[in-house]
Amino acid sequence: MKAFGLFAACLALQGCASVGVEPWQRDVLARPEMSLDTNPVDAAIDDHIYFSKEASSGGRGFGGGGCGCN
Amino acid sequence: MSDDNNVSATLAAATCALLGASAAAPVMAEEAERWSFDTALLYYGESDDRVQDVSATIGAQRAFEDERLLNLTLTADTLTGASASGAIATDTPQTFTSPSGRAVYTTPAGKAPLDDTFLDTRFALNVGWSQPLARLYTLSAGLGFSTEYDYTHLGANVSLARDFNKRNTTVTAGLAYSEDDIDPVGGAPLPLSQMLDVGDQSNKRTSDSKDVIDVLLGVTQVLSRNTLLRVNYSYSQSSGYLNDPYKILSVVDGVTGDAILRTPAPGVLGPTGVYLYEGRPDSRAKHSLYAEMKHAFGAPVLYGSYRFMTDDWGIDSNTTEVRLRWPVGDTSYVEPQLRYYMQSQADFYHPSLVQGAALPAYASADFRLGEFDAVTLGLKFGHRTMGGNEWSARVEYYQQSGTIDRDQLIGNQFAREQVPDLKAVIAQFGYRFGL
Amino acid sequence: MSETPPQSASITLGREAGHWVGRFMAMASPCEVLIEEAPAALARQIVDVAAGCAWRIERKFSRYRSDSVVHMIGSNAGRAVVLDEESAALIDFAATLTKMSEGRFDITSGVLRKAWTFDGGSVVPTQEQVDALMTRVGWHKVQWRKPVLQLQPGMQIDLGGIGKEYAVDLAAARIEEISPGSSCLVNFGGDVAVRYPRRDGQPWRVGIEATARAGAAVHVVHLSRGGLATSGDSRRFVLHQGRRYSHIIDALTGWPVPDAPHSITVAADTCTQAGTLTTLAMLRGRESESFLRASGAKYWIQG
Repeated sequence: MKAFGLFAACLALQGCASVGVEPWQRDVLARPEMSLDTNPVDAAIDDHIYFSKEASSGGRGFGGGGCGCN
Repeated sequence: MSDDNNVSATLAAATCALLGASAAAPVMAEEAERWSFDTALLYYGESDDRVQDVSATIGAQRAFEDERLLNLTLTADTLTGASASGAIATDTPQTFTSPSGRAVYTTPAGKAPLDDTFLDTRFALNVGWSQPLARLYTLSAGLGFSTEYDYTHLGANVSLARDFNKRNTTVTAGLAYSEDDIDPVGGAPLPLSQMLDVGDQSNKRTSDSKDVIDVLLGVTQVLSRNTLLRVNYSYSQSSGYLNDPYKILSVVDGVTGDAILRTPAPGVLGPTGVYLYEGRPDSRAKHSLYAEMKHAFGAPVLYGSYRFMTDDWGIDSNTTEVRLRWPVGDTSYVEPQLRYYMQSQADFYHPSLVQGAALPAYASADFRLGEFDAVTLGLKFGHRTMGGNEWSARVEYYQQSGTIDRDQLIGNQFAREQVPDLKAVIAQFGYRFGL
Repeated sequence: MSETPPQSASITLGREAGHWVGRFMAMASPCEVLIEEAPAALARQIVDVAAGCAWRIERKFSRYRSDSVVHMIGSNAGRAVVLDEESAALIDFAATLTKMSEGRFDITSGVLRKAWTFDGGSVVPTQEQVDALMTRVGWHKVQWRKPVLQLQPGMQIDLGGIGKEYAVDLAAARIEEISPGSSCLVNFGGDVAVRYPRRDGQPWRVGIEATARAGAAVHVVHLSRGGLATSGDSRRFVLHQGRRYSHIIDALTGWPVPDAPHSITVAADTCTQAGTLTTLAMLRGRESESFLRASGAKYWIQG
């Protein structure tokens, strides 16, 4: 699984040079709701709830935690 | 032109000659508000009087020159209610010693035992800083601290991002370390030691600790004018005391599956069955692969994410989440949210332990280490005010449905519901504003 | 002044976040006009007027079009040409900038682009190549007696450094004529003009594009009145012997300006003034900040 992940990442980086937009085509990406961290508070709340109820955590960022709830 | 003071005047005159006098009004511009706040009030409530949580979060962000950014987040929450202890339901009432070791509580016949002494107030503070380092690099660092009556967390993280390909690609690498101290009510029980009578603390240590190292590697890629993809690989290594000090397992008869009865010592209160405190391995390594995508279909924005996690406890999980942000009128939006989660059970998950059989090296009956699916259905509504602030309301319904492998059930246990569904309602109100 | 009929098909008009947004392409940039509180017909008219301005200026002053005034002047180099009033005013304005920059800014320096390709690489022309082109550069070699312009043979002019900001101000002025007092924001490829705050008294919020990065928040400026322009080279630069040269060429040396900031944004009374200040500041290289500070303008620099 890990090997596959690294392989996929290499492929992605190779392909990156041809993928993307010019600076003047960033109109849509510049909209606040297109930011990947649109709602940091929502994300933190969700992470905290799922951390305390499920065996998995993190992924989006660092593993969450810092709580005696699990 | 050596006299810079004349630049503005000369330029103004030249512009006036070019455009005419019509545009001659002084500029009114300033940088956007420097402090912005993101606040939320949250209610989380499980059905059947289980865990209830009320929390308040204030996030503050201060932008400085040159894209330097300070983030502060303060959270306070209060948990009340009971959570499943891990002991099985039986046809007779069961009595347990409470975690403090100073009292007992009784669970009625046929009910899943809950530890109802659960009450906790938690404060958490996170501080983050991010700034460009060289032209294409961004450095971020953070510190986190949280405290509960039985738990203290201290963490630090640092990450470096580099942009490539006209800033269409960002590669991030990060490292986090945390050290947590656990000081449970009544002490931390020795793993797989038996629950003792009131007053007998011989199997408890005062406190314990664990540390966690996280490594994160990520790539963010602009796929098109309206599509953005992020892929993260993360590795997390925990070591130390990884038990939940309040979780126990029932010891049962190998044929009937019923709890083995026990009589407390004369004149003292104590458990009426044989219960062992759980014992998890003292290390855990997790690998996660996470991908998320945002795509704008005109005004609506679709978000999708998928996470695969696997660890050396034998747990694999798959998580999928989809949200669709749909504008309503010019200043509002609705956002339906759907999340599906499924995990396999840990190698050492046992709903109960059989009397007389060899004691496994590790065992836990914590439902969170068992096999289950979870669905979250949610709806968020947001509205931007005339002043440019935004309030939002979000309601979610969360349901877990556990499955116990039939090989792990014994005798009468088949007839009883061992893992009741966990149902919870989440309501959140948020307000964002700038100063 | 006759305006090109709007090519309405390539204009989109819609409502977003409480106001009208008209979008079209002009001068190789995405252009938009935001309009508050207007009936649909008026909003349409306003966007048509703005697009008309942009397209007309593009057609008239583009160096890529064979029917442009700029092309006409270049192809008649060596002969005297009589310019229309608007072209003459722009040439006059450019001449002032040349004087203000002591010759660093020069509309005849466009021919140097033959030698310099700004693609982030490290290929630089030889000094001989630059010297050869420099014989065709220099405003002092031009005869300009408004409205008569005479270039020397082989010379060209390029108004690219002024045209877009000029078009923004012109569009804002035309909108004011057809709909006085209406609250609009004109944005041609990051060069912005605003005449009035928004209806609720709040300023317009303008993100500085040059700092935009996928997935990250942008720098936001509040603009109630005036112009905003950005000159950036986040991708257009040359590396030579360990130094970074910006895409702006110093017409005195024929070389790009070394050690200039990556991006400069200026707010001024008009978009033309703002754009001019960013260009003049870029030409100062590492002294750009002290130049901007002395000018008294509001500015944002990314080093």
